[in-house]
Amino acid sequence: MAPKIEYYCPCLAESPYPPPPHLASSSYSFHALHNLFFCEECDAVRCNRCVLVEVSGYYCPNCLFEVPSASVRAEKNRCARNCFLCPNCRNTLTVVPSDPPEDVDSRMSPIVSTTLGEPPFFLYCNHCRWDSAEVDITFEKPTGLAAQLQKFEDSAPESLEFERLKEHFEPFLRASSSSTALPSASSHHVHTNPITAAASSALARDIPGVGKYNPLSRSRIGRDKAAHRQEYPDYKSRVEVGHAAALSGEVDVELLRHLETVGEVASLEQRWSNSWVTPLRASDLKPLRIPLQSKKSKRCPSCRHILIKPEQKAQSTRFKIKLVAANYLPAIAVTLPHAQAALEMMKRSSAKSVSAAAAAEEQQTAGALIAGHSYSFHLAFTNPLYDPIQIRLAKAVVPAHMTEDAEAAERARRSTFQIQLPSAAFPVGAFAEAWEYDDEDEDMFLDEDGVELLDARGKKGKDGRGKSRSVGIVDKRANVTIVSGEVLIPKEARGDVKFNMLVSYTYRSDDPEPSEEVEVGTPSRSHGTNKAPEMKNFSFYTVVDLGSIMYREEPKLTADL
Amino acid sequence: MSAVPNTPRRANAQESFTPAATPQTSRVASSHIVQSSPHYQTTRRHSLYGTEDRIILDPGSCIWKVGFSGEGKPRDVFYAGGDSGESLWTLNRASKPAEREEEDRILEAKLQACLRSVFHNSLLTDPKSRKVILVEHPLLPLHIKEIMARILFNNLQVPSISFASSHLLALLAAGRVTGLVLDCGHLESTVLPIFSFRPLYPHLRTTPLAGARLSNHIKALLLMFGTYIPPATSLSATMNIPAASRSIRVPQDVLTEKVIDEIKTRICFVGDPIDTDGSGAAQHAMSPGPSEADLPPSDPALSESEFSRVSADVSIDSSNFAPSSGYSVVSHSQLPGMDHAPGESRVQALATMYGRHSTATDIHLRVDPPPAQQTGTGRGTLIVPGWIRERAAEVLFEGGDVDESSVAEVILDTLLKVPVDLRKTLASTILVVGGTPMLPGFIPRLQAELTRAVSRTSNSSSSSAAPSRAGRPRPRPAAYDKYAALRPLLPYFAILNNPAPPPPGNATAAANAGKAPAFTPSMMAWVGGSLAGALKTGGVEVQREKWDEAEAQPDSDDDVPMAHDSSPARSARSSPAKSILPDWTRTPLPTGAPPAPRPPAAAAYIPSAQEQMVMG
Repeated sequence: MAPKIEYYCPCLAESPYPPPPHLASSSYSFHALHNLFFCEECDAVRCNRCVLVEVSGYYCPNCLFEVPSASVRAEKNRCARNCFLCPNCRNTLTVVPSDPPEDVDSRMSPIVSTTLGEPPFFLYCNHCRWDSAEVDITFEKPTGLAAQLQKFEDSAPESLEFERLKEHFEPFLRASSSSTALPSASSHHVHTNPITAAASSALARDIPGVGKYNPLSRSRIGRDKAAHRQEYPDYKSRVEVGHAAALSGEVDVELLRHLETVGEVASLEQRWSNSWVTPLRASDLKPLRIPLQSKKSKRCPSCRHILIKPEQKAQSTRFKIKLVAANYLPAIAVTLPHAQAALEMMKRSSAKSVSAAAAAEEQQTAGALIAGHSYSFHLAFTNPLYDPIQIRLAKAVVPAHMTEDAEAAERARRSTFQIQLPSAAFPVGAFAEAWEYDDEDEDMFLDEDGVELLDARGKKGKDGRGKSRSVGIVDKRANVTIVSGEVLIPKEARGDVKFNMLVSYTYRSDDPEPSEEVEVGTPSRSHGTNKAPEMKNFSFYTVVDLGSIMYREEPKLTADL
Repeated sequence: MSAVPNTPRRANAQESFTPAATPQTSRVASSHIVQSSPHYQTTRRHSLYGTEDRIILDPGSCIWKVGFSGEGKPRDVFYAGGDSGESLWTLNRASKPAEREEEDRILEAKLQACLRSVFHNSLLTDPKSRKVILVEHPLLPLHIKEIMARILFNNLQVPSISFASSHLLALLAAGRVTGLVLDCGHLESTVLPIFSFRPLYPHLRTTPLAGARLSNHIKALLLMFGTYIPPATSLSATMNIPAASRSIRVPQDVLTEKVIDEIKTRICFVGDPIDTDGSGAAQHAMSPGPSEADLPPSDPALSESEFSRVSADVSIDSSNFAPSSGYSVVSHSQLPGMDHAPGESRVQALATMYGRHSTATDIHLRVDPPPAQQTGTGRGTLIVPGWIRERAAEVLFEGGDVDESSVAEVILDTLLKVPVDLRKTLASTILVVGGTPMLPGFIPRLQAELTRAVSRTSNSSSSSAAPSRAGRPRPRPAAYDKYAALRPLLPYFAILNNPAPPPPGNATAAANAGKAPAFTPSMMAWVGGSLAGALKTGGVEVQREKWDEAEAQPDSDDDVPMAHDSSPARSARSSPAKSILPDWTRTPLPTGAPPAPRPPAAAAYIPSAQEQMVMG
């Protein structure tokens, strides 16, 4: 597994500190940079777990029809045109006409035998060859199929039964709500409905019939029950389960008893959204209308500013507003030089390697972190801003309020490996178009920070495992700076090499007017101001995952060299 | 050089500074911030649904059903734990505070993902404008309920949540207001009697024999009796080596949750009970065991129950035992002093007995080979014996354990608990809901088991009662007949949604058995929620501003139990739930005497007119 880095969004925890990375729950707080947003008002990172989502438009993913929101409800969030899914494989169905008339060939499949005069159209799955004629669904004309099927949906047994149930309960609720209106008028608004009232009074009181203090209660209850029976007749089902032709229990049991293959029975996913008893057979499944999708705009949860807003048209993939974190935070890529070197070598020797599987395994072990060694890792920072930034790295501090035992456990785990990061700040060049970088840029910061700048090319040459002990800038060009860190894994270490890293960077703020408090401190990407540069600082947490430790001592690879 | 003109690639960044966005959004923002007031104002912008249309959430530990009120079926059904089908929570919780906190954090993250996806992906609606009815299982752990409420209010900002009892809603969907509802879900089977809209919570009874146990049992049976044919190592081998010679015992890795789930939901069913004509076989089956000479030979129930214990053992450590030890589970069987060999042969004999009685076909299932043996060509074949398909569910019907009553016993236990004058009514209005009763044949079998358990005379029933096993040295206690009190009710037993009701015992049963509408058992609770939403009723409603208020005020009472909580913020966050969320387990106990004038706080529980009359 390649080493990776993820960025922290503090929305799940209340504390600004990230959770220790060895906790399984911590993975929910870290996100890839491309999934994050940045709120300029709050000067904070926002993730998909905390943003407020609003629907800005509905469309069908198949025909890209933009469905007006008025009809979304009636159509039950599904496409009401010609788009259907295969019930077996969820592929998109196509509308096909029946085969040409009988005179051409009459050694027919059952489909064509249904052909009478004008050819009916049916839905056909190009993947699994399912077609809707199997379930007796054919169409007179090839358009507006959903509308032609609408009548079936409207008369679906569950909705008819549902309406009947509603009619059955409505008079009763009306009656009882008028009787409870008096006591509830004076009381809390929450409990105005009769079921609630009934339920909560039942909770608050003794069970009917077991009350000790009221000798009358028993007979009263009896009378109540009788009265209740009279005024409230039993519900007569429209279709009783005992008579539902679809499921007479015996038939299903018999079907299953003589089942030959699993495929005969529809899978749970294919039938679980049916609220009405349906046949179990896979061959009885009906085509599904394609669910609509929505274009969503997202807002910052605290200041409600829009973070991202798509263009209305379903065909467009552009955004009207797009405040993504990738435009504000430096992108970080983490690599293990020794793994890469090993990969290179693997590629070179792959010609003579025995089998692909073995090579893959080799590859696994080559990039592994073996206990008892130390490795250097590279962090490549890419600056998206139009101004150069200064970055400083630090290991994340453990939150002070951690309880005793947790901290002990934490220390025990954390001490399995040691991380060294460059302590000094280092610069990353400004973003510009590729042709605007001069070669001289590279040397500009050479001795600026007192950080030793290693010769990148020279180092790459001898990049064996754990060879270079140095921590600092490795390479710097254009808007990318690569720094090197080191991880030292003791012999007894186990688990993943995963650590939290605090990245702070200083950038030039370009709106110095202090009128709007919130706006100050936003790393803005606009440029070309002549005012005195005001430096701002922004920090964020990341988790760096270098991979898991292998404790197999295997110097075989280097021997292969 | 820095004055670079915009290039197309950076266009997006420039767009982000379009001033158009800011003033407009800030106006909306302010309106939102002010809006903690009763009803949502956002609906006026686009009211897709009527303001009264509510969202019905039926969150199970495994499967969630979501949709809009007033509709006959849910819009979406999905596995909450991801595609692997694992459940979000289990019956256990970590005992160490640190681990428990971690568990809760993971649960919260998962629940958040689920709830957000409900609104944004399944329903495509704006959570800020939709009231929610949460279909609440009566035994839903409180901390989970709190987490859900917190996410819905804080993260999604729904205007209100109503909590409605799943059993009551299911009963509504059957068109009744009185009944005995058995919800046989994934983790638990729970029975709750309901009389005239009132759930009688103190009489609730539950048993862990439910879907998850069934899955474990199927797994245990397949490990012992299933056959696995690994994919041939090469294509030519497929031709040359007969499948029979390649077949091996089933490796543990093959039986993933997903495979087990598929077996359970697609090919399993519940056969009729093996009754007296099977006794000969049962007797034969038991003969190898030396220790059960004193057991009544005519009772197949006991042998079945011993058999089903296998899975109970396996389920305890099924996660971590090696395949080889999987077969030895039989050795630590329940009967003391029984060594390995008889145990094995006993289970084997039972398998033979079931196999003889089952006419169900064996099923060949294509499964992915375990990751360790991925070398072959294509997928392996798992052979599921027909009798496993038919008899796996026996585990749910085999009682005799005081802690884990069978599904039938848990109904009878509840009947024993309810007031005597309600028994007749409740016995004839049994409603079976939940996912596990979706097994074909489950409900008719349950009816048969009810009849059998009640009608069993003291001679034969003693063996199924718990004391017989524990008290082997003692002379058997004189015929403990637990359900004798229910025997007169026998003709009254009727299951409302029994698709194949037996000939009714009397008019009451005839009026009820199989008379429920043909909704599927698994959807009953959701449909009832939809119905309640359409009728503008529902459970206790909690408004968002109440929640916000409760959350804003510092709470002192709950600091002590939350002491282990590391972050003070967390404990503060979880506190409002305690005071705001309705919870039947925390209702004050009834006072013995007629109530004094109620203090204002206690007025939250308004008796209905009827109740007041009784009290008066």
